[in-house]
Amino acid sequence: MSRPKTLVAAVAAAVALTASSACSGSAKKINGGGSDGNVYTSIDANNPITAGAPMNPFNASPNTFLGYDQMQLGFDKKNPADPNDFFPGLAASWTATDTGLTVQLQPNAKWSDGTPVTLADIKTSVAVAYTQGLAGPSAATANPSAGSLEVSGVKDLGGGKIEFDEQPGVKNLYFTRLALSLTIVSDKVYGSQVPADVWTTIAAAQGPDANAAKAAITKLTTEGKALAAFAPAKDVSAGPFVIDHIDPGSAVMNRNPYFYDVKKIAPKQVVVRHFTGNEQIWSYMKAGELDSAPFTAMPTNVLNQVLGAGYTRMDSVSFVGASIAFNEKVAPFDKTAVRQALAYVIDRDAVTKVGEPVGGVPNAATTGLIKAQSDTFLSADQSAALNPYKPDPAKAAALLQSAGFKKDSSGQWHLPDGSAWKITLQAVNGFSDWISASAVIANELTGFGIPTTAAVTTDFATYKKEMGAGKYAFGWWLVALGPQTDKAYNRLYGSDDGFVYTNGQITHNDSGWEHTPETYAVNGQTVATGPLTAQLSVTPVADQKPIIAQLAAATNQELPVIQIWDYTRVQFTLNKRFTNFPKTGDEALLANPPGVWMMQGYVQNK
Amino acid sequence: MAVTTATLGASPRARRPALLAFRTAVLRKPGRVVGLAIIVLFALMAVAGPWLYGRLEIDPDAVYAPPSAKHWLGTDFAGSDVLQEIIVGARYVLGTAALAALITAVLGTGIGLVAGYRRGFTDSVLMRITDFILTIPAFPLLIVLSTVWDFSSPWLMGLVLGGTGWGGMARAVRSQALSLRERGFLEAARGLGLSTRHIIVKELLPNIAPYVAMHLLLSTIAFVTAEVGLFFLGVVPFSTTNWGVMLNQAVFSGGALESPDALFYLLAPLSCIVLLTLGIVLFLDAVDELFNPRLRERA
Repeated sequence: MSRPKTLVAAVAAAVALTASSACSGSAKKINGGGSDGNVYTSIDANNPITAGAPMNPFNASPNTFLGYDQMQLGFDKKNPADPNDFFPGLAASWTATDTGLTVQLQPNAKWSDGTPVTLADIKTSVAVAYTQGLAGPSAATANPSAGSLEVSGVKDLGGGKIEFDEQPGVKNLYFTRLALSLTIVSDKVYGSQVPADVWTTIAAAQGPDANAAKAAITKLTTEGKALAAFAPAKDVSAGPFVIDHIDPGSAVMNRNPYFYDVKKIAPKQVVVRHFTGNEQIWSYMKAGELDSAPFTAMPTNVLNQVLGAGYTRMDSVSFVGASIAFNEKVAPFDKTAVRQALAYVIDRDAVTKVGEPVGGVPNAATTGLIKAQSDTFLSADQSAALNPYKPDPAKAAALLQSAGFKKDSSGQWHLPDGSAWKITLQAVNGFSDWISASAVIANELTGFGIPTTAAVTTDFATYKKEMGAGKYAFGWWLVALGPQTDKAYNRLYGSDDGFVYTNGQITHNDSGWEHTPETYAVNGQTVATGPLTAQLSVTPVADQKPIIAQLAAATNQELPVIQIWDYTRVQFTLNKRFTNFPKTGDEALLANPPGVWMMQGYVQNK
Repeated sequence: MAVTTATLGASPRARRPALLAFRTAVLRKPGRVVGLAIIVLFALMAVAGPWLYGRLEIDPDAVYAPPSAKHWLGTDFAGSDVLQEIIVGARYVLGTAALAALITAVLGTGIGLVAGYRRGFTDSVLMRITDFILTIPAFPLLIVLSTVWDFSSPWLMGLVLGGTGWGGMARAVRSQALSLRERGFLEAARGLGLSTRHIIVKELLPNIAPYVAMHLLLSTIAFVTAEVGLFFLGVVPFSTTNWGVMLNQAVFSGGALESPDALFYLLAPLSCIVLLTLGIVLFLDAVDELFNPRLRERA
């Protein structure tokens, strides 16, 4: 996969959670405020420049950049132990209450036009989130088990204190997280794009009258489409930078003189370069053009070139894993023995070495989580009991024979009905790691006696659509999208598997594409995967261990997917024009874009 | 083959001069021998490649290994031998090009001859169809079709390339036919009351054959480039032995433009395309002489 593209999917799916906490910034050194600095050049892996697209963060291809000119109240530290652990953003601090969240805005929070950030901006931002399906019932539909941000009102408590009231009757564990993650936009720019009666509509959407709620959601969605297409005449930013201009090759942002902590911001300008593929990012780095580069898939030979150009490598945990998923409606993948046999044939070490040699670690055992996260939930005994499915052709053969498969004299396996067994392994065009890895897996399976062809779908949107339509029986899939565990398991036992969460009740139907059974029998116990996944979303992290233990054991035994590798977030920095970058080990910082590093006092002129 | 043998057996006298002329034309210049040798080499690769090497071995510990005694052209992203991939991949490339060339020759020549000789309404209808074919952008069409059709077999790809590629040949042949039909020998044929079919097949076609042959070989180069280009874009089924996929993997996965390690992986399929083109161009010289009596006389 083109790493950036994977990252889009990974990051998009891994953002959004909540809880309660207070926090403070951890700035290191402070720069000299308004003095000139160097120009900082980078790439936004999630957001290549789209010529002609509006400077609107809600557009499908927005020309705004998180952490630079696009601001939130806080920035997610991706702390698996505390999903509500955030860096301060426009919120200097916050406190979770029984009825919602109280936020203290930064004392000097101002927009790039010099006007202060006010309650009106926050209210408009929440309303906009409802129109975009980022809050309210639409968001709940998108992430059924995780619930959604349900705000009944936003109040000014004075002195820069803002109160978010959670909808009465709703208690989302992650309300804090969801509220802090909201994109905050200027009321002066977006207020006119939101109808005056939007809060009445939101109230109707939250109300008990189902028909009125449905009509209100439809109205919000319609309004949201118009808002997403809105093109502001100029960028008005509360972040450390504000867009000066955008051309097809780059976005140029100047330091925002009104940013609340501008003295920490060293670069006088940020240039975000456009890219169409990994090889362009490699090329930029080889030429020493980027001051930092995001997570990009690369082979070892390119890594050596990049390091040779003077870059420093920074590794951090990425809560994403690559796996091969099954459509269990398609025989013979409905048989557990078949899935287990395939797991015994695939040599994950070899596949990772070829597919993701720099940014991947072979998965230790399929659990639905990456190893770094499963280790924090499972006891040593529970981890030891997991089957790692080390390559073992003899075990694979025995499993297939037990399932009625036969091998002919030429060494090819035949299905129980006697027909020759052939497999197509589906990947996505541009996802270079998946494609390269597919070649190895196809080779291994073919060598075992199951002729396997690697096929490539033109783009990821088509891939997801066709996968959802049940077109692929055996294909690549991102899993373990954490650190929120309910989201990780929702990837396996959520809407893709036909589990529907409505009005606090979870039901199972045939609408997904995975088609796993509703329950598994594991160690003599019945494991109801969907309800357990939903239960995770209302269970504090500290109490999740028993649930995770069941889900991990069931997933390891039944293999709805075979996890191939856990991604490592490999980033690069160049100590040529700037210094004081985060380092390997600064997990929270490295989970955020460079703009957030700068807000925390990192990145200084050299 | 049976037909050929029977024909040869029935007419040994006719065979000898043709073979002799061919040998004479090829041997007259060393470049022509080289051209023929290259074409024969690739043809042999296409025929025998997949039989010589079944499943290619992978070696994750020898990714992008440099050329060595074991791997003459180095290894690819999975540690597979690049030379073996090139040899195995020749069948798809040449098979597709050959089928597309055959379709181009049959349709382009047939339609061009009939249109040029018959003129009038037939000419108008056939040329409007030809113009329509010429307006179809074959490469973008292939990109679109690749999303719905499975091009893992060379035959379907060849069919599309040939089906959209004969227009130029038809136009060119028609022009030649229009010119020839006014010549004396054709007027004499018509005067003798020979059938249209006889005139087109026995009188017109032999005179146009050298033009068709050369056009065909040049089309083959275009077809090879088109199919490899399509695979390079990565929008058709993935096969590690496909030359276009090799180029794609070398650039987009192996960083061949950033790192010398994957350079041989990039250069191998590129060199093959260049070599094949060179072979065809060199051999064209011989074909020209073979069909052109004036050149034969001059020689």
